Parts: sequence; structure tokens; C-alpha cells
Amino acid sequence: MRRVPLMPNSPNFSETVRLERERRGYPRLGSPMIARSSLRGSYIWMAAPALAFAVAMIGFPFAYAIWLALSEVILGSPPRFIGLGNFQRLATDPEFWNGLKLTLTLYALSITAQMILGTWLGLLVARSRYAKGLVRVILVSPFMLPPVVIGMMAIVILDPSFGIANWLLAKIGLGPSLWLSDPSTVILTIAGLDTWQWTPFVALIVMGGYLSLPSDVFEAVEIDGATPWQRFWYVTLPMLGPTLVTAAVLRSVDILRFFDVIYLTTQGGPGISSTTLNILAYRRGFEFFDFGYASAIMVTLTAVVFGSVMVFARLRRAVAW
Amino acid sequence: MKKLQHVVFALGLALGASAAAAPAHAQAFNWRSQDGQTINLMLNNHPWSQAMRDLVGEFTAKTGIRTRIEIFNEEQFRARLTTLMQGRSADLDVFMSLTSREGAVFHRAGWYADLAPMIANPALTAPDFNYEDFGASIRSASTFGNQVVALPINQEGPLFYWRKDIFARCNVAEPMALEDLPDAAAKLRACDANQGVWAARGIRGAVPYALSAFIYNLGGSYALPDGKPGLSQPASVRGLEMYANLLKNYGPPGALNHTFTQVIELLGQGRVAMTHESSNEFANIMRFAGRAQDLGVKVLPPSRDTRISKPVAIGWTATISAHSRRQQAAWLFLQWATSREIQAKLVTAGVAPPRASVFQGAEFNAWVAEQPIRKAWADALIEIGRTGTGVYQSPTDRVPEARDLIGNAVQQIVQGQMSPADAARAADAELAKLQ
Repeated sequence: MRRVPLMPNSPNFSETVRLERERRGYPRLGSPMIARSSLRGSYIWMAAPALAFAVAMIGFPFAYAIWLALSEVILGSPPRFIGLGNFQRLATDPEFWNGLKLTLTLYALSITAQMILGTWLGLLVARSRYAKGLVRVILVSPFMLPPVVIGMMAIVILDPSFGIANWLLAKIGLGPSLWLSDPSTVILTIAGLDTWQWTPFVALIVMGGYLSLPSDVFEAVEIDGATPWQRFWYVTLPMLGPTLVTAAVLRSVDILRFFDVIYLTTQGGPGISSTTLNILAYRRGFEFFDFGYASAIMVTLTAVVFGSVMVFARLRRAVAW
Repeated sequence: MKKLQHVVFALGLALGASAAAAPAHAQAFNWRSQDGQTINLMLNNHPWSQAMRDLVGEFTAKTGIRTRIEIFNEEQFRARLTTLMQGRSADLDVFMSLTSREGAVFHRAGWYADLAPMIANPALTAPDFNYEDFGASIRSASTFGNQVVALPINQEGPLFYWRKDIFARCNVAEPMALEDLPDAAAKLRACDANQGVWAARGIRGAVPYALSAFIYNLGGSYALPDGKPGLSQPASVRGLEMYANLLKNYGPPGALNHTFTQVIELLGQGRVAMTHESSNEFANIMRFAGRAQDLGVKVLPPSRDTRISKPVAIGWTATISAHSRRQQAAWLFLQWATSREIQAKLVTAGVAPPRASVFQGAEFNAWVAEQPIRKAWADALIEIGRTGTGVYQSPTDRVPEARDLIGNAVQQIVQGQMSPADAARAADAELAKLQ
């Protein structure tokens, strides 16, 4: 018998597979026999360890956090169920609303800056014939740094008394800034730090997405005489849509959970001007031992993160091509 | 014959009984009784901890007990400790605790092993340990009911540090009363606008430690006679106002994000002329060139009007986890670490000894005599040990939250969000909810 090459795009591919399976005595694909015996029998058991691991490592801690959020927890005593008591407390706590406002402000500032700058930088590097090797390594380096290093660098560089940032401002004729020490600039400064660290990450994703786009489309619009701006706005950007949404999802989850650098640099201050929900929950839990309330804050934040991911998931379907 | 048999039997019983009893009497204290054990220690980043890390080899040589030491900065230390203790981890044997801050909460949670039976047991405690050698106030801070929860490892409190050379250059007299501080600050600013004048803690939870002597010395307190919060009493508001205004008018930029690390850096580098910061940081300050010669140190001056001098005096402690399975080995470590011999060595690392005998000892006095500023520091420590208090918040078990609210009042004044009286009233209302 002449063998037909098993090419997935070949018109008789599925027929070839069926004939080959029959010849070897395998059950028909999609038959009830395969669903019952093979799938339920072997495949599900094979997935069982992964399922158990997921339940143990993700499901249990999350369920426990929800249980704590519904409980009053006094150090050393078992939690006492109080229903939605902690969530009612949230609704009347000005520090919670301040934390939510700061979390969303920080998110809006950071995600906007990182997506715009990351797209620009990614396309610049992808199109540049010189930006290879070393340049890409340098590009990667900020987000390879541990948050502790970023935090310590920020403390030293941005200190209003002896930091180099104000010295540089003075050199170009500008007045000093209080950076992390002024309630009106602290969130902007933290957003700047996060943008500095994570814009290259977005740029790398954009660069990868751009390099995988089909070149014939760009050749066609070039032949049609499109200007560089038209090429970017009507072709590059729509085609990069799914890539940009993926980058935005990854950064959204990260920014909404942003904790380490804020805690290292300001501990939520001055006052409560950088006490985001993460910082608030940490302080309530680990400094004031109010674990039930801290869990309620974290469950609320998880809902915010989940909501943002859902929005982007819908957006991804809208921009798919 | 039968009578003789009875006598012999009785004698035999008596001999047997005495022989059986003999090991109990002979079971003397032995430093090597836990030879071969390994204990886990979790410590806060502190001069005592750093010195321990260097000296712990001597403990292993003496007892045969090996140690695993983890040192974290204070916030991380508390977070990890809480996680381990909430999980009832048996891996942790010894940890540091600031009993004046968290003692009541940790005691209620059952995290501390009871050291009282160990202290009372001569088979477990070295004959020369002498628990009474620790000051009575220090011992009482770590005693809840009949339970001794920890052993003191140092004593400390905020002290007034000032640059004698800058004061002399600007012809400003050494402040002898608390009311002199704002005047001195104003004169120093007028003398040299480029010289930083004042630095102090601005982070909320850290503020009350440095603030409290201002309130106490001016005749204020954190509580009314009936135990209700009293920050809004006129004298307390004056103290709050003086501390906040010094920070606002003469403090460094960004002072509200500062705690002892930034304050000490500013003082050490010569960027400020005076501060009110921990006695514990003395050794770190002395590492900066010139500070041993140009710095003065003493207890914050009393108020001219009230004549009151009531500084804060606290001490870190070391304790044994209630969940530890190696409590006897941990107890040997605690005895060694708080022994007179080791505390005398720790003095050179700038750790003020909580044992009276070390303070009065020849080694300590020889070290103090080497530099005049050491003598001033030691005198100040003796004074805060005598007159100090470990209470610097309104009555509550929720001490960290209470201190945070008091610090918040200072921040609101510094930021101009509230007047001192309004900030104090608002803080009192919140503090009352913690009672």
C-alpha cells in the first residue's frame, strides 16, 4: 500500500490517520470505547497527581484565606467564624478605601507608561540592525534585579538629603524633589520605579511578537504607499494586539500585587500616602496580628486582580486576528 | 536471729534508698548535658545578634551544642516569627522578643516557654547564673503572672546626641532644659544655613520611642487617671507639638520616612547637629570618623518648668519557643548568652549590659575609661535604667497599633494636616477603640 505522507494540512490527513489506526487495531477516534476506557481509565489517573498538587498548593491556601477572611482571628486561638463581619468593616474603613484608590492609581500610571514605552522600545529594538546581543542583554537586566536591590537603590538615589537624583536635578537647573518622602509625589515615584524595571519586559514581549508577524503584509502596505505612521497604526498595532494584551495581563497581575519595593522604600508612608492594599494587609496581619481582617483585604484584592484578568481575556478575543 | 535479719534488712533498705537517692543529689548542673544537639535561633538585626554570631563558637565549644542562626531586619523578623509560631513550628528554639511591645500578645498566644521552673531547677541552671543580677524593672517587663517569659539581653533607650563642635562654633550653649532645644535649633539654623540641625524618627510606628520623653518631661502622659487615652491633655499636646515642630522646621527633607537607620547615618556623616536616638546605636555612631571626639551624649534634658526627666528604657530579650523540642539545649544557650562573662564581652560591641554586676565590673569600667564619650554614654544608661519607663502608649494590649496611631498624630502635624490639639484628639478617639 502506498503511504500518504502524514502532513496535517494535507486534505486526506484525517482519512490516512483513520486507516492507519484501523490497520494497527486501535479503537476508532471519538468512539464511546475510547472515551470510557482509555480516557477515564488511564488519562484521568495520569492527571490525578497534578490535580492533587494543584488542590494542595493553590486550592487549599486560597480556601483557607477565604475562611480566615470570614473569621475573627486572635493570635494563638482558633479562628471564630463571623460571616461577612470583616467585609463590613472594610466598607467603613477609610484606610481601605485609601488603599484601593492608591492601588488603582498606581496600576493606571504604571500599566499605561509600561505599555506605551514598552511598545516603542520593543519595536525600536526589533527594527534596529544594531540592537542585537549586548543591547538585548542590557534590556533584560532591570527585571532580573531582585526587588531588594531595586528598593535599596531607590532609597540611596532618591534620598532628598544625600541622593544623587537631586544632585542631577540641580546640575540641570531644576529644584530638588522629595521623591518618596512627599505624599503628593510618592505614588508617581513608585510608578516610575516599576516602569523603569518592567518596561524592558514588555519591550521583549513586543519584540518577539513583532518578529513573528508575517512579512508579506508589511511588504504589501509598503507597495500600497502607506506612510510609517499609517503602517504602525493600521497594520503593526492591530496585528500586535494579542501580544500586547498578553503583556498587559502579565503586568496587570504583577502591578496589582506590587509590594516589595513599596515596603522597602516607604513602608506605606509618608502617612498612608503609599499604603496600597498589599501594604495595608501586610501591616494589619504581621504588625497588628489582625489576620482575619488582613485576609479580607487580600481576598478583595484577589477579586480586583481576577476582574482585571477577565477584562483582558475578553479584550484578547476582540483583538484576535 | 530473726531480729538480726530484720536489722540487716532494714539497714539494706536504708542503704539501698540512700544509694538510689544519691544520683538525684549528684545530678549537678552540667554544661555538656545536651552535647550533640543542634538548636535554631532567629534573631532581629541588632548589635547583640551580630555579636552573638561572632561569639557563638565559644558556646559550641563549651556545650557541644551546635547553632543555626538566622538574622533578619526587624519587620521581616516579626513577619517570619509570626508565621512560624502561628504554624506551631517545632524547628524554632530561640528567638528575640521586645516584651515591652509584644509580650502581652505573645504570652496570651502561648508562644513563650515558661523559664521560671528552669531558673528554679539547680540541675538545669548554672550555680553562678544569679537571675536577681538583672534589674528588677527589667525582670518585671518579662514576667507575666508567675511566668518568666524571657531573659534580658540589653538595655536601651533614646538619648540626646549633640555636636559639641558645631554648638561651640555657633556660640550656642549646651541645652540644659527641654525648652532650650527649639531655641538652640533656631540659633544653629541662623548660624549656618547649610548645616542640618535636627533629625529624629518620622515613621509612624517608630515615632513614640523618641517622642515619649518630650511628652513625659513636659508633664504629659498617654493616659488619664482612669486609664483612658490622654494624648490630648494640654501637657501631652505640648510635647507632641515640640517633637513635630522640631521635625517640621529643622528636620531633614523626607524625615517622615526616617527611622533610626537614616537618623544615625545623618548624625554619623555630620549632616545634623543633634538628635534623640537610641543608646543602642552608640557603637554604630562611633564608627564614623571624628564622632567620638566631637559628639556629646546624655539623657534628654528635663523640662525647666516641671523638672521631670522620664526617659524611655526598654530591653530586648531572648526567649525559648513554647513549641521547641530542645528546650533544655535552648536554656543552656540563654544562660550562656546572658552570663556575666559574655555580657562583659558584648559591652565592647556597644551592647549595654542588663546585669548590674557587669555595669559595676572592672572590664566595663576599663572600657568606659578609654574615651570620655563612653563614660557619658554609660552614665546616661545608668540614669535611664533608674528613671526610665517601658510604657509609651495608652493602656492596651494592642501596643503596635497604639504606637502607630500616636506616630500618625505626629505625621499629621508635620504635614500640616491638623493642629497638634486636633491630631491628639483624633488619636485619642482611635486609641480608645483599642482598649
